[in-house]
Amino acid sequence: MTAKISDRRTFLRVLGAGTVLTVLGGTYVVVGDADTRKARKLKLPDGRQRLPPGQSVIARLRPMGGQEGDPSPSAFKLKVHGAVDHPFELDFAALLAMTQVEQTCDVHCVTKWSMLDSHWTGVRVADLAELAKVKASAHHVVFEAASGYTANIPLHDALKPNVLVAHKHEGLPLARAHGAPVRALVPDSYFWKSAKWLTGIYFTETDRPGYWETRGYSNRADPWKEERYS
Amino acid sequence: MKVRPWVRAVHRDLGYAAVGLTFVYAASGLAVNHIADWDPNFHNTTREFTVQLPGGVQSDDDVAAVIAASAGIKEKPKEVYREGDDLEILYDRRTLHVTLATGHVLEERQEPRFLLRFANWLHLNRGKKAWKYFADAYAAGLLLLATSGLFMLPGKKGLIGRGAVFVAIGIAIPVAYVVLSNGP
Repeated sequence: MTAKISDRRTFLRVLGAGTVLTVLGGTYVVVGDADTRKARKLKLPDGRQRLPPGQSVIARLRPMGGQEGDPSPSAFKLKVHGAVDHPFELDFAALLAMTQVEQTCDVHCVTKWSMLDSHWTGVRVADLAELAKVKASAHHVVFEAASGYTANIPLHDALKPNVLVAHKHEGLPLARAHGAPVRALVPDSYFWKSAKWLTGIYFTETDRPGYWETRGYSNRADPWKEERYS
Repeated sequence: MKVRPWVRAVHRDLGYAAVGLTFVYAASGLAVNHIADWDPNFHNTTREFTVQLPGGVQSDDDVAAVIAASAGIKEKPKEVYREGDDLEILYDRRTLHVTLATGHVLEERQEPRFLLRFANWLHLNRGKKAWKYFADAYAAGLLLLATSGLFMLPGKKGLIGRGAVFVAIGIAIPVAYVVLSNGP
């Protein structure tokens, strides 16, 4: 009986010590993040804080999983369709033949990391919309991706000049884990809206909540309003 | 008829049957819960090197063969895609990004994590829709396990004693979290 009590006390001591170490370690990680503290002092030109609330700065993009698609550039097809007068399909070479945009922007993941000054190359969704002649009745855009993944954003957000169909990150072709050969880039929304392994852009009159939006995540996903969950 | 022996029997046998899926869901749950810290499906690696490319007119496939030999890759490429001065050589689980002018090669490789990738695939219900029914059955089984567990032991270690305290703690943790974090 005494041995059992002694064992239990030892167990509780170890458990307590482990908890204290974990808390101290977490505190060290949070307090010791100089990049995050520095970013919190910065403002965007429109007055918003550069780092949205609750975010921490990281140095490299994280993959964040997803059901991977075919990374092959020659197999790539982007279907632009829905509420448009001129639906069309682009292959990789045709995408590269369009006006290319080089863009440096911050991206923000709902899991609370942000990457500042990430560099992307791609084609504006607005240019694709213009080619497709989007109908006046369209109000939403659905990014379609491999294995049925979708993400929806309002049309006026999709037509912003910083919303791209991106094929390069940091000057290099997209890595497989980041959606090669092509992904969407929507810097002003949480990053799940930037669908990897992009296969289509669907313009629609009514909103169609996507994969995460129908699984408890916010429909708007504005990082500055901390719209993480619905 | 005494109910408790039946409760124990159901709890015991259902518990055994649930072991496999509990390991799948628990391991995957831990893995996916920390998705911001690592890729739970793949081990991603990169390496960079430079290859002395042969001069003269060569087909893209020939260039790809030279690079593969230099990199020690024996696998046959699935695709060799050229865009201007850039060549992409795709294999099953790796891609070589080649800058032809300099011979610089960036290799990125993805190796599936053993078992965990399958567990995540099941957990996230990314397979055929039929899996949803198995997952539902497992969830219902867990409810039955929890309910039968409540009534397994009589006396002061059961629901009228120590058991009640632990049940209360188990309920209080999520309730307190929701209240203290201002909820959804």
